Amino acid sequence: MSVKETLIDPLVNRNPVTLQVLGICSALAITSALDTALIMGASLTAVLVFSNTMISLIRRLIPNSLRIIIQVTIIASGVIVVDQVLRAYAPDAARTLSVFVGLIVTNCIVLGRAEAFAVKNTVLMSLLDGIGNGLGYTAVLVVVAAIRELFGAGTLLGYEVLPLAANGGWYVPNQLMLLPPSAFFIIGFLIWGIRTWKKGQVETKEFEEVRVRPAAPDPATLVAAGRAAS
Amino acid sequence: MRESPLRSLAVLLAVALVCSVLVSVSAVVLRPIQAENARIERYRHIVALSGLLDGAADAAGIAAAVAQLDMRVVNLDTGEFMDDRDPDDVNARRVANDPALSTTIPPEHDLARIGRRSRYEVVFLVRDEGRLSRVILPIHGQGMWSTLYGLIALDADLNTIAAVTFYEQAETAGLGDQIEDPAWQARWTGRRLRGQSGDFRFQVAAGPVDEGSPAASHQVDGLSGATLTGNSVTALMRFWFGPYGYGPLLERMADRKE
Repeated sequence: MSVKETLIDPLVNRNPVTLQVLGICSALAITSALDTALIMGASLTAVLVFSNTMISLIRRLIPNSLRIIIQVTIIASGVIVVDQVLRAYAPDAARTLSVFVGLIVTNCIVLGRAEAFAVKNTVLMSLLDGIGNGLGYTAVLVVVAAIRELFGAGTLLGYEVLPLAANGGWYVPNQLMLLPPSAFFIIGFLIWGIRTWKKGQVETKEFEEVRVRPAAPDPATLVAAGRAAS
Repeated sequence: MRESPLRSLAVLLAVALVCSVLVSVSAVVLRPIQAENARIERYRHIVALSGLLDGAADAAGIAAAVAQLDMRVVNLDTGEFMDDRDPDDVNARRVANDPALSTTIPPEHDLARIGRRSRYEVVFLVRDEGRLSRVILPIHGQGMWSTLYGLIALDADLNTIAAVTFYEQAETAGLGDQIEDPAWQARWTGRRLRGQSGDFRFQVAAGPVDEGSPAASHQVDGLSGATLTGNSVTALMRFWFGPYGYGPLLERMADRKE
């Protein structure tokens, strides 16, 4: 795979959220406002770049039987460092994200990329794969959060975009958009949109559809049944 | 490459060592910045009541305002300032039930229904060009369901309410929890605690305040559906400005000025 493909493909063609449907839990929880989504995206990207690079660096040393333990150790350390940095330099965002920064440890994208890519590719390619997948995750978060914040609060990054009825404008915010279920619909529509655009992403059916039509009744039995009834 | 238990163990130990160093270094290096953030967060409500800032403040604005506050430790039993004590070492909430550091309130005085309170409390003096402009006092008391924690700022006359906030409570949702409503808290501004003769008269009224009545300047509107929470607020105010609250402190401060 080329450098360009490794970096660009995860944005749409092999997006971790919309194609592989990974990392959905955090995409539901922290996308009610654009600024938290951006910080979450940046945090995950930082962890992913760190874990991919480190794991790729020692990929020939890692004993196969201890693979997952070592990967999780490295990922968890990266997450703790990111959490500490956020608490120091972005305390308000750290409070808003609360447990979700810590939960990056269990984000399937991070371990997924370590297992699927970093253990068998060079350090440079793993680094680029980390950046690409981090940005792919961030892109989905940003789209979902922008829709939710715009229609749920009438704002983007805290600035009023749609004039609110409460402030003399015309827009009445849709409270549903601020609740986690709305992210389900939006991500669903997003996946549908991308798969309509890129047909190749549509999954092959795991079963065969067979339509069963009832056989037309035999006229002779109908006549016999009519006679018996009369 | 061959795998042996010894080699696996060595790799595992090396990874654990590198990771633990990384985590420890980040925690130790960033701790002072985090501690400062936590301190600023703790003072956010106090700064809001100080009148030093207009509107919403960012962390830098709060830090600057915190630096201007004069934090003093008070011995509530005597009303004296304890200038040899570090305000950062006083945690009135933590020691409220510590027999060595707290005082039992006689039941007939325990209007706030808190049983005991810390002997030492941190109060905040706000100065405007050297002259006292506000005093910010922490208050708390039992509400209908929960303990109400608040702060009250008095003007330099130590009688007029400049601002109030209740920032922690678990009263009935939609009724009693309206004491956290900034619009209701804003109505406290300008109301007075005591009448001409020095008797404590402030209260949360039953229903809206009749602005024409002589009592109006000592009342704030009651919250509909939250009579018991309102009564609790009246009671805790009466307690904190009585002999077991800030009464001795405010007397001393008034004497010193004269």
